[in-house]
Amino acid sequence: MDMTRRTVLASGAVVAAGGAAQAQAQAQPAPRERGPLVWMNMDQKELDDAYDQSVYAPNQPQLGKRRNANSELVRKRLAEPKRFSYGTTPIESMEVWTTSKPNAPVMVFVHGGAWRVGLAREHCYAAELYVNAGAHYAVLDFINVDQAGGDLMPMAEQIRRAIAWIGKNAASFGGDPDRIYVSGHSSGAHLAGATLVTDWAAFGAPAGIVKGAVLCSGIYDLKPARLSKRGAYVKFTDAMEDALSTQRHLARINCPVVLAYGTYETPEFQRQSRDFAAALKVAGKPVTLLVGEGYNHFEMPETFASPYGLLGRAVLEQMKLA
Amino acid sequence: MASSEIFNGLSRRSLIAAAAAMTGGAALAQNAPVAREKGPLVWMNMDQKELDDAYDQAVYAPNRATVLKRCVRNSELVRERLGAPRRFAYGPTAIEGLDVFSARTPNAPIMLFVHGGAWRAGLASQYHYAAETFVNAGAHYVVIDFANVGDVGGSLLTMADQIRRAVAWTYKNAASFGGDPERLYISGHSSGGHWAGVLLTTDWQKDYAVPANCIKGGVCGSGMFDLKPVRLSARSNYVKFTDETEQKLSAQRHLDKIVAPVAVVYGTDETPEFQRQSRDFAAAVKGAGKPVTLSVMEGYNHFEVMEQLGNPYSLFGRAALEVMKLRPA
Repeated sequence: MDMTRRTVLASGAVVAAGGAAQAQAQAQPAPRERGPLVWMNMDQKELDDAYDQSVYAPNQPQLGKRRNANSELVRKRLAEPKRFSYGTTPIESMEVWTTSKPNAPVMVFVHGGAWRVGLAREHCYAAELYVNAGAHYAVLDFINVDQAGGDLMPMAEQIRRAIAWIGKNAASFGGDPDRIYVSGHSSGAHLAGATLVTDWAAFGAPAGIVKGAVLCSGIYDLKPARLSKRGAYVKFTDAMEDALSTQRHLARINCPVVLAYGTYETPEFQRQSRDFAAALKVAGKPVTLLVGEGYNHFEMPETFASPYGLLGRAVLEQMKLA
Repeated sequence: MASSEIFNGLSRRSLIAAAAAMTGGAALAQNAPVAREKGPLVWMNMDQKELDDAYDQAVYAPNRATVLKRCVRNSELVRERLGAPRRFAYGPTAIEGLDVFSARTPNAPIMLFVHGGAWRAGLASQYHYAAETFVNAGAHYVVIDFANVGDVGGSLLTMADQIRRAVAWTYKNAASFGGDPERLYISGHSSGGHWAGVLLTTDWQKDYAVPANCIKGGVCGSGMFDLKPVRLSARSNYVKFTDETEQKLSAQRHLDKIVAPVAVVYGTDETPEFQRQSRDFAAAVKGAGKPVTLSVMEGYNHFEVMEQLGNPYSLFGRAALEVMKLRPA
């Protein structure tokens, strides 16, 4: 192969962005010719890599197993969660880990998985934090993008409907409908973000139904995701890209937003949170940006489960339970 | 072996094995087929390289530097939130000091933590990250500094004396920082987990003029409880093991001295030996009829276990609070 200076620089940039320790654990990428830029300073491969967590988080399989094991431990320690249906299909349901405190706030969690995978029961690892602090924890199940024919809109619609359902039915499990908060990770943070720009009247819910959001490692403008290889399984349209790019609808946001990312995430997953935070600030909206130093994409959400972790602290503070 | 296979004294098969260990994560390092000639067994079913690897965390925890940096950073953040700890000297040399993060309630129980670092590295200030687990639950968190083995001529016995003196000092002086000496607990991780075992099997009355039961419970995180295989490993390059060191500082050989509940914690992504040491020690303590719990952290490597002392809902943080009869807060 004809090794140009640009090829060497390209592979060097990937290594530097991934962090020395992370890069060590990976095989060195073969030098390659850099292609035309498709997004900012990235060619197609660089953009694809920036939307592929496994490239930057070599311990992804280990952390996935750990998340499931920790969720199972929670199920052993706490009483089984309540299971509620918010729609007509089996997946349109949620598990609610209830606190014993009366009229308690509710934290809704939207799990990640590149819009394609994940179940509520695998993402309940943080339940004890909420239940012990005096909040209910509602972990949503919802359709995945493959089952939805590549369309993200049904996913967003289900999550919005789930929140409207909680608003109407919170009292039935001891929840305070006036203190509903949302959180999410990765593609779940993207979908939770989209709830902040929802026309709630269409769901029979009040405009201010969501009182705050803690969004970890999400996507807030879909254009680069659409240009990446994620476009192979998400059937992006202009309408979808615009409707579900939260950053393009800042005027609709009416609650405090906490954004978080880890310094070992992909360059794009770092930039998305930084840019959304900056845009919110310019729009005069209350926003906090948290940076997890030395955490990758899958290590970040683990901090939801500790009252002294970056995100556990953030959710307790936002719900005024700290 | 054909001479063409020799590169700098390494056979091609050794190189393949080494390359597999370097490029893989923990799982790959564990699962990679052994592509080298196995040498004579030196411990259980292990040859020298396997035993050396089993006492070398870097082989099984490729993210070691990352997690250590995270703990240093999270320790800074804890100091920003709680303020700097109080520093007390427990001995005449500069390193013989300890940091106290104080509980907000009077006459509170005390958790004393002994850090790891293969006996050769580490400072108390890098382990402040766990302070809130204890302080917010109503306990003092004491982290001790002590000499590393390189500074004391390779002698673990010298280190043991220092660490035991720190515990005796804490027992005798607890009231000076609002602690209840009758609720003193200890914990440690890695080589600090080794020390936790040693502290639980110390003859306190005879050697340190404090009550035999001055420690009310202990948590041994990812430790070593019989030093024989360690002595046989590459660690003997920097630890000057003697028969006396091996015998006196192998907690598993002094089970009769244990007078307090023991909690043992390890992770499933640790080296085979670090998993076995914890399992065997817990089984031996149980076999001796003493109270012991064993917590196995699924999907955590050696350093990721350590980090979880800062999370009161993790199996490590929980074990430490439970031995103190406290709840996460």
